[in-house]
Amino acid sequence: MNSNILLTHRAIVKLVKQPSAPLMGFGMSLFFLVVYNAGIGGIGSLDIFAGKGYLSFLFPIAIISLAMGSSAGAGQTLNADMQSGYFKRLYFSPASRWALIAAPMIADVLPSLFFTAILLCVGAVFGVTFQFGILSVLGVLLLSLLWSVTLSGFSAGIMIRTGQAQSAAIVTNAIFPLLFLSTTFLPRELITAKWLLAVSWGNPVTYILEGCRYLLAGTSDARFFLIAVVVFSITTIISLSFALSSARKIKL
Amino acid sequence: MEAEIIVSSLTKRYSNGTEALKGLTLDVKRGDFFVLLGQNGAGKSTLIKVLTTLLDKDAGHFSIGGLNPEQQKTEIQRYLGVASQENEIDPGEKVENLLIFQGKLFGLSTPDAKSRTEELINAFQLSEYRSKKAGILSGGNKRKLHCALALVHRPHVLFLDEPTVGMDPLARANFWEVINQLNKKEQTTIFLTTQYLDEADKNANTMAFILDGKIVYDGTIHGFKSLVSKSDSMSLDESYLEFIKSFSEQNTTNYSK
Repeated sequence: MNSNILLTHRAIVKLVKQPSAPLMGFGMSLFFLVVYNAGIGGIGSLDIFAGKGYLSFLFPIAIISLAMGSSAGAGQTLNADMQSGYFKRLYFSPASRWALIAAPMIADVLPSLFFTAILLCVGAVFGVTFQFGILSVLGVLLLSLLWSVTLSGFSAGIMIRTGQAQSAAIVTNAIFPLLFLSTTFLPRELITAKWLLAVSWGNPVTYILEGCRYLLAGTSDARFFLIAVVVFSITTIISLSFALSSARKIKL
Repeated sequence: MEAEIIVSSLTKRYSNGTEALKGLTLDVKRGDFFVLLGQNGAGKSTLIKVLTTLLDKDAGHFSIGGLNPEQQKTEIQRYLGVASQENEIDPGEKVENLLIFQGKLFGLSTPDAKSRTEELINAFQLSEYRSKKAGILSGGNKRKLHCALALVHRPHVLFLDEPTVGMDPLARANFWEVINQLNKKEQTTIFLTTQYLDEADKNANTMAFILDGKIVYDGTIHGFKSLVSKSDSMSLDESYLEFIKSFSEQNTTNYSK
């Protein structure tokens, strides 16, 4: 079997055997949903939520936090191999250097997608609406994929370039504030601080949130979804280029 | 005998300004059991890292088995086996699975990888641990597994960087038996660094002494001992200390001049 396929297969099998990181991401997302919906879900009866309730409005933040808390955010597979020293053993193999980086990235992104799908099912059971049916599901999965690859690529690239597995946390730490500088909990019409509104429009996370809301509750605009796809396709390309170009700068 | 490793005027300077290799030149012949000696910080690890493609050189040339590591990276990885100072094992994987995976990674078919795994498990006396996770092995057995992983693809040149650290005397004896067989029967060139000079004395036949990024002796171990003392009774350990002492004295004399 081709060594690149072997590496990817190994990374996926390892995650299946040790699914703690993606499970933690999934748990964190559910926690967000339950706690915030319980706390301020009552505002869902306001007209601005168009009768779709607060859960459908809040749901996109669970999609975003899922990738951040799961393997994609932490670069778990690569992280584990670097910490154990096994990455060096793989480096001494004939496998191409870009495959050493791409394989764990693929393995990290797949569970993120898998748990997003489960989260969508859970959401559907508890009343999240899907404005365009299956197309909404596919759209949300697409945004989740782009977001996960963006996180995973930057995490992997930073780990490889610094030679330190712990540095993967830089990405999630840097992005974490963006989750709150957005229309995360309230529609823009209810945000009173002008500075937060201004910042939120420059925050790419806003476009994923609003894009998902367009697909789920229909309370946002199609152009946000399109902007999110374009912006995160670009960040995905940048992130992938950053990660794969690190293959020439591996520090061991 | 044909040269297996040819190093010519190799230089390496780190970003902090330390010049680890200063125009180093060295030949190791095919089938040699070669040991590189030198104090800590002399440049041994840097040389190994450059030769095994972990680090890029600044200037100079080197080839291994006639291959140019800069242009033939995949071929060179198949040609070399590397057992570095730190264990490179996946602690969550079973011993047997790790060896089979390593074989497949180097292009062996599943039956060949399994058969090679069997050979190595027997050679390194790891039979009773084959189904155990690598992470729970004792330090010595982890070390054995680490070295076995470097041998799965039957490399032509084997780099061993402090290979027996953490092994008990019995494990060491077993380890050197395996390596000697490999060197004698399969003509595998061994490139060893160790601080256990009795092991080098017993097993290696050629050596080089690296001092401050340059090779100051290159030849047989017997020749090195003769260079240091006319008496034949000196061990490599004693010769090494004497050699270092004479160099320090030379430097002190030069300094006072």
